[in-house]
Amino acid sequence: MTQTSAEPAGLSPEAEEAGFYHEAALNATWTGARLAMGALSFGFGAFVFAYFYLRSLNSHGRWYPSTLTGPHLWAGTLIMGLIVVSAAVQTAVLQRIKAGHKTAWQRGALVALVLGLAAVGLQIWELLNLPFFPGAAGFASVFTGFYPVYLVIALMAMIWLEMLIMRCRPIAEISFVEQPPTFVEAFAVQRFQAALSAFTVVWNYLAATAVVAWVLFYLVH
Amino acid sequence: MAIDIQPEKVKGPGGREPGASRPARPWWLRPAIHTAVAGAVIGYVVGHWLGNFLGSNYQQLPLSDSSDLPIVLGYLLAVVGWIAGLGVFNDPLRQMTGRPVPVEEEDASAAAGLARYFRYSLDHKVVGIQYLVGMIIYFCTAGLFAMAIRAELLSPAYHIFSSSTYVELVGEHGTMMMMLMSSLVVGPFGNYLVPIMIGSKRVAFPRIEALSFWLTPAAFLILFSSLMLGGFPFGWTGYAPLSIQATQGADSYAVAFGLMGISIILAGFNIIVTVICYRAPGMRWSRLPMFVWSMLATSVLMVLAAPVLVGGMYMIITDRTVQTAFFADQLGGSSYLYQNLFWFFGHPEVYILALPGFGIVSEIIPVFCRKPLFGYKTAAAGMIGVTVLSFFVWQHHLFDSGLNPDMRPLFMLTTELISIPTGLIYLVAMGTFWKAKIRFTVPMLFALGMYFNFLIGGISGVFLSDVPADTTEHGSFFVMAHFHYTIMGGLIFAFMAGVYYWLPKMMGIKLNQTIGKIHFWTMFIFFNSTFLPLFAVGLAGQPRRVFEYASNLQTINDWVSISAFCLGGSILIFVINFVWSTVIAREREEGNPWQSRGLEWQVASPPPPGNFARIPVVLSGPYEYGTPGAPPVADLNPPAGVVAAAFTGAPTAAAEA
Amino acid sequence: MSAAADAAPPPAAPAAPAGPNHGLRIFLLWLPLAVIADLVIWIVWGPHLPPGTMSSSAANQQFDIKVMAVLAAPVMIFVLTYFGYALIVWRQRDGDTEDGPALHGNSRVQASWITITSVIVLFLAVFGTVELKIANGAGAGEGPSPIWKPGGAPLQVQVIGQQWKFTYRYPQFGGFETTQLVLPEGQWVAFHVTSLDVIHSFWAYQLGVKADANPGVDNVAYTKPEHTGGFVVRCSELCGLWHGAMFDYGRVVSMSAFRTWAASTRVQLAAVTRILPPYATTYDPTVVPQINKAMAKAGIGGANGYYYPPQDPVQP
Repeated sequence: MTQTSAEPAGLSPEAEEAGFYHEAALNATWTGARLAMGALSFGFGAFVFAYFYLRSLNSHGRWYPSTLTGPHLWAGTLIMGLIVVSAAVQTAVLQRIKAGHKTAWQRGALVALVLGLAAVGLQIWELLNLPFFPGAAGFASVFTGFYPVYLVIALMAMIWLEMLIMRCRPIAEISFVEQPPTFVEAFAVQRFQAALSAFTVVWNYLAATAVVAWVLFYLVH
Repeated sequence: MAIDIQPEKVKGPGGREPGASRPARPWWLRPAIHTAVAGAVIGYVVGHWLGNFLGSNYQQLPLSDSSDLPIVLGYLLAVVGWIAGLGVFNDPLRQMTGRPVPVEEEDASAAAGLARYFRYSLDHKVVGIQYLVGMIIYFCTAGLFAMAIRAELLSPAYHIFSSSTYVELVGEHGTMMMMLMSSLVVGPFGNYLVPIMIGSKRVAFPRIEALSFWLTPAAFLILFSSLMLGGFPFGWTGYAPLSIQATQGADSYAVAFGLMGISIILAGFNIIVTVICYRAPGMRWSRLPMFVWSMLATSVLMVLAAPVLVGGMYMIITDRTVQTAFFADQLGGSSYLYQNLFWFFGHPEVYILALPGFGIVSEIIPVFCRKPLFGYKTAAAGMIGVTVLSFFVWQHHLFDSGLNPDMRPLFMLTTELISIPTGLIYLVAMGTFWKAKIRFTVPMLFALGMYFNFLIGGISGVFLSDVPADTTEHGSFFVMAHFHYTIMGGLIFAFMAGVYYWLPKMMGIKLNQTIGKIHFWTMFIFFNSTFLPLFAVGLAGQPRRVFEYASNLQTINDWVSISAFCLGGSILIFVINFVWSTVIAREREEGNPWQSRGLEWQVASPPPPGNFARIPVVLSGPYEYGTPGAPPVADLNPPAGVVAAAFTGAPTAAAEA
Repeated sequence: MSAAADAAPPPAAPAAPAGPNHGLRIFLLWLPLAVIADLVIWIVWGPHLPPGTMSSSAANQQFDIKVMAVLAAPVMIFVLTYFGYALIVWRQRDGDTEDGPALHGNSRVQASWITITSVIVLFLAVFGTVELKIANGAGAGEGPSPIWKPGGAPLQVQVIGQQWKFTYRYPQFGGFETTQLVLPEGQWVAFHVTSLDVIHSFWAYQLGVKADANPGVDNVAYTKPEHTGGFVVRCSELCGLWHGAMFDYGRVVSMSAFRTWAASTRVQLAAVTRILPPYATTYDPTVVPQINKAMAKAGIGGANGYYYPPQDPVQP
């Protein structure tokens, strides 16, 4: 309390508590995002384990039989690319909103949202038009099993981004530049920023997962 | 930062303007359990139709069952309808459309009497009570299945049930106990007490917490409905070729278990973040009550292990519906894959079931020994040690499976290592008992019973960790007796201790202590009389889950069965005591009946909305018994500025945004 | 025993100078009980502990169980003695509302406890590993490429699990398949356990052999029968409706009797053996219906090699 200009002694008990839980909520957003990534890693880990286990076992020579037509490389690359670009755009415009440019972020976030939704849509198309039967091989099983899960999680991330875009709308642009006059407004801005940071980290994590999955399923099987 | 300070109430997460209170709708339109049931029915019908529609022209593998897709989609959409009916999606939808999100704590209808227990309530104390009642119902249902199993085992050859009914009973009992009892302590006591014990007025994610509860009745009902589809013949483990081969009842198993996996992920997620971020000023890690440590450790296991279970159940479902071949050996899959995934979850799961028990007894014994907890840091380290090690032992379930024989010494070592942190729990107990002033209250009796039972359970576990000895014991009644000693004898006894200890806090009502003592002694005697002989039965060569056994084992099996019925009677005494004390007698219990220093006992019983009038400032640890000049555990009405000092200047997440 | 005996000092350490020496009292209570229990376990129970001594692996398991019981008993008795003593001596007396002494811990006690438990645990791990190696895998299924195996040429016996019975093939005797499990005395046996449908577990109780029968996997387990006599075979992995009824009986006979039995059974089952697929470590279950058809065509009935005899219960 010494290094800030705030004067805590002047706070009413209610404001004190509001500030306390406000800060707890900010930390909870930060912690929650990391914890969610941990849980997701273990969930994806089940599929990564299945991938490597079945590949090394190659039971009856049917991990990836030579007769198997692999998934469309162009589709997989495009989906992965869309997600990576979406995450990159979101990360780039995050810097803009940190610099106080709300509209720049809004435009960028919209682009990121459209790219992410396009990836989800394309993924659905790809799963509906697989060139192999799901049970044709070990590889086919892991592929058919993993991507719907990833798809649902990416879709949920996009819903989160959409919520953030809607949440940003009523916040005045000036609030990102200087401290708003009331606690309520300042808290709203800070919570939005915390949620946005958390989202960006999670979305980047999912983009990295998409790259790893792309390497595993399209390049090295 | 010269800003106006307005004494406005801060809002829940979401950061929206506090909306005007929602227009009052007639009760039957307000989201509650009846709308949830309606949603579930609609969802099931839609999902079933969708499954038939999608599956009508789908290529099938030989011998596969073509009607699984409608069942699975029906269940999944029924769950979606169920939670939609509860109003889970209302706030996210408001956020998505940019409408204000109401502050739930101020929602007028949320506070309304008994009805709030049938709603998607965001009050952690309501969720705790919902969990408590739910868990007792699930436990008793699963216990009745156990009675039925024991009835069948009265005779080696004469059958009460058909073999198909018997495997259904075995599967229902095992699965219901293992999956639903994961939340036995985290649900009721974790959700209810952890925020109070860390001095918080709220939890981090009330919506997630409430959702985690409302998924449990859905999972329970789906699992139960398996009986209508012919049950499932593979016990709680669901080993793969059998679970792929089995009829539609297996769909219920996979959906219900996966759903419960999601529920425990959500429950654990909320607890972890709450403990990390919402501790009151002064609640340092070194002052955290042992129970909170155990909840934290359990929650870590839940959040990290359960996703693997969800993955495994998902693979069963895809193998059964869209005909993937994860577990089909001839098609490039492997049945070992399932065993690995399942036990990678399954072993942490048994510690999900053990750690809360350690936490409860460690919390209770200092109160009734009137002494500080001996070796506080050792106890916390023991729990953390168990948590970490439990991820590295899963292949001891596969010692005879033919998998990785070269890894056996390693898994033997890790399994035996886990007895070191577990032993620390005993060291802590024994140190606490040293020169204590032991008060034989009902919670203390149950805690002592837990230490006695878990000792047998733990030591028998060491026998199982040794590969040569395990060759005889694996898959026999010895294993079955072992884990009943750790789970039933450990967790359930600790849970009972918790009920007798904390129910006065949670409901402001005293449980009858005389009936409580009768309950304890009958339960303790008949529990041991049921499960101790089963070690011998197992060593004598009776495998688990059989309904025919060697005729020379009939006497001992009959003894066990009769003891099991008496054990069931003892649970009935508990239920009667619970219902009689909370519904009929309702004897008020004010204040702090156990003279406990726990922070939760410093507030009224039951705690007022918001738990504390002001954020308390914690001044000392919870176990400072016997120290005459010990400061009170917390300042419940701290002077102005103390709470503010705890947060201003601290780094915030917003600083990074 | 010696490691467990060291467990006594920890509680003795925090004893106050005044008053009775509780630690010594607990130790003196514990010591005779522990010694008696260990003697009883080793001498009286030991020879009768399951699974007996019918085979090398059974004897090895009996020895392991005995050793661990001897180690576990003093530990258990110590904890129970301590709790019993505490509950009697340190119970709250009438009218006493005082708190106990404010002992927060004792680093010496904690350090010695951790050391003792670590020593016991490490001993058990080393002991288990040595026993595993000595007993050639201790009768547990070691998978297709066993790392602990006996020298020489063991008798090969294939165990085929299916819902809900075991059949046995003897590849060194022309690969005939029978429902009888007959083994020679004093000869190492290699069980090759596999399954045609779901996971079963081949548990020859008195032989101390347990190996899961996984479809498509050749799970090998070794044992050496040491005495003649009968033994029970049970399925110990839940495999569906009739799991509980999946058991049969095997025999250990003298080497000459075994040779006679094998030769005569080989001749007796020659017609069946011709129809069966050639011996392999694993089988493709999809050929089962064809085999049954061929069997029916050849007019072969009874249990000899039938994969799904008609009297078996239908699949669930």
